[in-house]
This record gives sequence, C-alpha cells and structure tokens, in this order.
Amino acid sequence: MVTISNAHTELIHDAVLDYYGKRLATCSSDKTIKIFEVEGETHKLIETLHGHEGPVWQVDWAHPKFGVILASCSYDGKALIWKEENGRWSQIAVHAVHSASVNSVQWAPHEYGPLLLAASSDGKVSVVEFKENGTTSPIILDAHAIGVNTASWAPATIQDGPNPQQLRRFVTGGADNLVKIWKYNADANTYLLEDTLEGHTDWVRDVTWSPSVLLRSYLASVSQDRTCIIWTQENNQGPWKKTLLKEDKFPDVLWRASWSLSGNILAISGGDNKVTLWKENLEGNWESAGVVDQ
Amino acid sequence: MVKLAEYPRTATFAWSHEKVPLLATGTAAGTIDADFSSDSKLELWSLLSPNPTEPLGTITADAKFNDLDWSYDNNILAGALDNGAVEFFSPKDYNSVAKITKHTMPVNTLRFNAKQANVLCSGGSNGELYIWDTNKITTPGYVPFVPGTAMTPIDDIYSLAWNQNQSHVFASAGASGFASIWDLKAKKEVIHLSYTSPVTGLKNQLSVVEWHPNNSTKIATGSGFDNDPVILIWDLRNANAPQQVLSNGHTKGILSLDWCRQDEKLMLSSGRDNTCMLWNPEQGQNLIQFPTRGNWCFKTKFAPEAPDLFASASFDNKIEIQTLQNLTTNLDLEEDVHKQRESETEFWTHVSEKDSNEKPIVNKLQAPSWYGNKSPAAQWAFGGKLVSITGGGKDVTISKPSIPGIEKNFMLDD
Repeated sequence: MVTISNAHTELIHDAVLDYYGKRLATCSSDKTIKIFEVEGETHKLIETLHGHEGPVWQVDWAHPKFGVILASCSYDGKALIWKEENGRWSQIAVHAVHSASVNSVQWAPHEYGPLLLAASSDGKVSVVEFKENGTTSPIILDAHAIGVNTASWAPATIQDGPNPQQLRRFVTGGADNLVKIWKYNADANTYLLEDTLEGHTDWVRDVTWSPSVLLRSYLASVSQDRTCIIWTQENNQGPWKKTLLKEDKFPDVLWRASWSLSGNILAISGGDNKVTLWKENLEGNWESAGVVDQ
Repeated sequence: MVKLAEYPRTATFAWSHEKVPLLATGTAAGTIDADFSSDSKLELWSLLSPNPTEPLGTITADAKFNDLDWSYDNNILAGALDNGAVEFFSPKDYNSVAKITKHTMPVNTLRFNAKQANVLCSGGSNGELYIWDTNKITTPGYVPFVPGTAMTPIDDIYSLAWNQNQSHVFASAGASGFASIWDLKAKKEVIHLSYTSPVTGLKNQLSVVEWHPNNSTKIATGSGFDNDPVILIWDLRNANAPQQVLSNGHTKGILSLDWCRQDEKLMLSSGRDNTCMLWNPEQGQNLIQFPTRGNWCFKTKFAPEAPDLFASASFDNKIEIQTLQNLTTNLDLEEDVHKQRESETEFWTHVSEKDSNEKPIVNKLQAPSWYGNKSPAAQWAFGGKLVSITGGGKDVTISKPSIPGIEKNFMLDD
C-alpha cells in the first residue's frame, strides 16, 4: 500500500494511475495537477502543472501509443492537454468551447485515435480530436438541459450484422437526473441520442461503461439520490434493463463508480468516505465483495 | 448556454423547490402593458417542456401581483395582490384555492416558512403584517394573526424573511429605515437594526432583508438608497454595527437579495442600476457582475434546489433564467473575429443579437460548494490496484484489495 500524504494544499478531486501503473496524476481545488512516480511502496513528486484558473475536477491519461499525455478539466470551463517529452512537461492544447465548468474528461478507446470527451455544466458535451498539427473542430452536443456531470466512452465494439461496423458510443449523466446513450453517425459526423434512461430522482454524479467486451453491455450510474443503478443491454441493441445495485439506499450520496479493468468488480465511492466493492453472482444479482478500509 | 429561457413578461416570480424546478410568474403591479391591459395572470413554466416558450398552465388572478412565493412542500403558491388580498393557488390543479382580504392596503410581499410548510407571513403598506396558516385558509371565517407589537412605528413593508433555523423568528424591512426582527413566541419585535451611512452621514434605508442559510444569528440587509447602495451583513449577537459591508458593486438602490441555501458563500443581489450581481458575503467580494438590463432589476432568486440557475425579473418586460457561469469560449472569440470582418449593414442587423450574447464580468472564479468530487473517488488501475482519495481529501492511497473467491481474475489483470 502506498499513501501520499498532503499531496495538495486544498481538496483533491481525482487521482489516476497511468496505463502501466507507474505514474499517478492528482488534481485539486488548489488549481494544480501533480504527477508522482510510483515504484513499489515508494513515490516521488516529479512535476506540478499550473495552468487552470479554477479547481481542477478530473484528469485522464491518454493511451501510451500517443505519448505521455494527460487531459485535465476545471471549473474555469477549460480542458487542458499536457505532454511530457524528455522529462519536460508542457501544455500542448487548450479546449475552450464550454461556457461553464467542465466536470469530466475522458479519452476514447485508443482504436478511435486521440479523441477527448468533455462534459460541462453548460449542458453540453464535446468530442475533439487532437492531431499533430492541432485540433479538429469539436463536435458539440446539447446533452442535459441543466448541466452534464459526467460522460464515459463504451469500449471499442464492432456491431454484428450483415455489414459489421464500428459501434462508437458513450454515455452521459446530468443534473436533469437522466442517463443518455449517444452513438456516432459517420454520415452526419456527429453523435445522435440513442436512448434516454430514467431511474434516478436526483443528480447523476457518475456513469461508467464496463470495459468488458461481452455480448451484454453494463453501465453503472451513481447519483445524489443515494442509489446505484446497473443498466444492461443485450448484443448492443434493444432496450436497457434497469437493476438497482442494492434495494435500500446507500448511507450517503454517491459520487464515483469504477469498473475493474476486467469489468467484473465495481467500486462505489460515497460521501460517507466509504468505498464498497460489488460483483455479480451466477444468478445475475449484485452482491458485496467487500469494503475498502480507508 | 447564455440564457436558458427568457419570458417576455413584466412579472414577479417564484421557483418551485424541486431538482428540476418550475417557475411561476405573476403579472407585476404598478406596470402597464403596451396594450394597457389590466388582466393579471399566474403562469407556470417548465425549462424541460418540449415547448418552453408556452406556459404549462395559466390561472387568472383578481389583481396584479406585488410578490409571489411557493411553499417548501410545493403544494401552494401564494400571491401578494395589489388589491389587498392574499390569493392562494394550487400549482397542481391550476386553480385558485382561496382569496382572503385582510390587509387594508396593497400587499407588498410574502414568504413561506422553510420549516413549517403551511406557515406564511405577509407584509403590506402602513406596516401591516400577518401570519397565515394555509391549512386553514379554506375554513370559512378564517383570519390570519398579527405577529405582535412593534418597538418602533413601522412604515410600509417591502421585504420579509424567515429565519432558516428558528421557525418562529422572522425579519421585516421597509420604508422606515429599520430592519426589524420578530419573535412569534415572544409576540413582539425583539431587535431592530439601523445603519448610518459614512458616505451620506444619514440613516440608510434598510429595505431588503435576507437570513443566512445556516447561521441563525446572521442576517443581510440591502440598502434601497441610491446614494449609498450597500449590502450589510449583521451578526445579531452584536447588532450595533454590521460585520461586513459589501460596497463597490451596485451604483443605485438594492431591490432584491438571495442568500444561496446550498452554499453560504454565495449571494445574489439586484437593483435599480438594472444589474444582478453575485457576491461572496463572507469575504465581502463581488464575484460576478451580470450583463446590465434595460430597466430596474426588481427580483433575483436562485432555483432553490438547482442553484446553478437563477431567475431575475426586470421592468423591461423580461424574466431571464441564466446559469451562474457564462464564460467566454473560443467559439465566442471566433464569432467576434467574424463580426469584425462583416460589412456595415451586416453589423447593424446583428447588433441586437450581440447584445443578447453579452458575457458577465467575472471578478473572481469561485466554485459553488455542490461542485467537485467529495468522496474517496476510488478508481481501479492496472494490476488490480485501487487508487482512492483518503485523509479527508488531502491524501491519496494506492491499495490492492483482496476479494474472496475471485483472486484469479486479478491475476489476469497483471
């Protein structure tokens, strides 16, 4: 176990390990991002990145095939792209199309290229591609009228059928208590609303798509209403089935859901400072897989 | 998202206490339509309606509205009418439930109690104050009661606010120059506040009152005087002088205040300088100045359960619903560049559009308390590792939780 104490001077909002588990990026209300090198039980601060003008909510590492690249998002309405080359970190791009807080950033499955998905309190989500010679014009969608809290890509999938094609989808969660599924349409070069999932009675704080590429797709959405809903869809089509992770409410509001890389363990973090782990049993019910001691 | 909605009405308004709120508007008293209509309407609006420019429903009222408030349980809307009546409406059934004339003069303002959803306080001209019980309004012969005796002669009441913790305590303010604190248990006015302006040397008019969302001894007052339009924050434990003076903001008298119930570090104000502003009342800092309107901005309120949104009403026939944040983006800059290139005629046809796109002036970026992860934010990483935020948000821990029965899958992760 590695503990990094007093990493920032104000609240930390996100902490993410890179693809190899060697580098940790953290971000905070102190407007900075810190990069740590983690080796066994030891850690070392290697860089502090300054550039945001407000609290930094999330960070996400790009796939290593694009280089050592990190995206960050802030209350200042911007997503920033950072790159390390020969030990030097620099800010290489600014994504400033949102008029309010950008609450989440996530890189697409690497098969699609360096595509970034950003969700904002201005009610929109944007998808932008970062190329060697700059960025392409972003695709901006009106997603949730009162604000988008979170957006997450589906794993790269091929749709079966007579004409197999790439099924590029993502999911969003908003302050309108809804979860929405979006699907890429190559002809229109945009993402179209595929499904609207109703079930929460308060803000959806996080929704994540399970990385496992199976016949069944899994989504986990967590909300301020103190519930977690597992949404499943068969063969990437048809209706989404709704299952409450547990019937009774959690003791506090839920903020984060994370699937293990194999997709079978779900970690749920709540305002009561607890992390609970969950797995699906053979009957298709969700059961506790433990509590992580803080 | 510049504005979420704009309703072409000179009307007072009230938000419902819902996560996806409704807005009720009531035709404002003391104004005249272009067609000199004397009709008064209560209308309900939804931001998520497929046809957001059409009201969900309309109820005809007896007289025009000076104020409107929505009960905390969302069941009743109360209107302060210009003809001296307090009219109660059911927002679910779109009808008038009761109409009671107890005030002898126009009713200027009313407020529902936060803790007792059936309790309402109304204030009018000539210092008339009444406490209502909405459970009894349909009982024949029901009359509201008076809160008690005043310490000083009170004049017209413009503003009322219930204490958010002590449901039997409320404050009133108006033309007299005093803000009064009333205790219904003691049946009297218990304290009054007054302030001599160092700018004018005169007793300032404290015409708007608003309680702190959590702290029961803290209260804000807004000055209606054009020559020293300050917001004062008082701690009643020392009611001799204000604790904080919020100046360097409004240039004319303040007409409305709203202390955010979900973040005590945020307060909205609006006034006769046609402007709405956002403050940090603790630090006395002016955070945002919203684009100036065409006339007095007489009411501004956060959506109580969705305070990223606020509504503001002005006498230029507009109620606007806006988001707190409206930052300048690259797209706006591109549009500006495009505008600079356009011809003279194009410029003049686009002038009005540009106005509606005007951005607020942000003096300080302050994230509201409902933003930002406040949990361990645990996330899985390569090798079955779990990264989580610990130590109350100051530390980060990387652990490898063991899960009975599925160690095998974790080996696969490595």
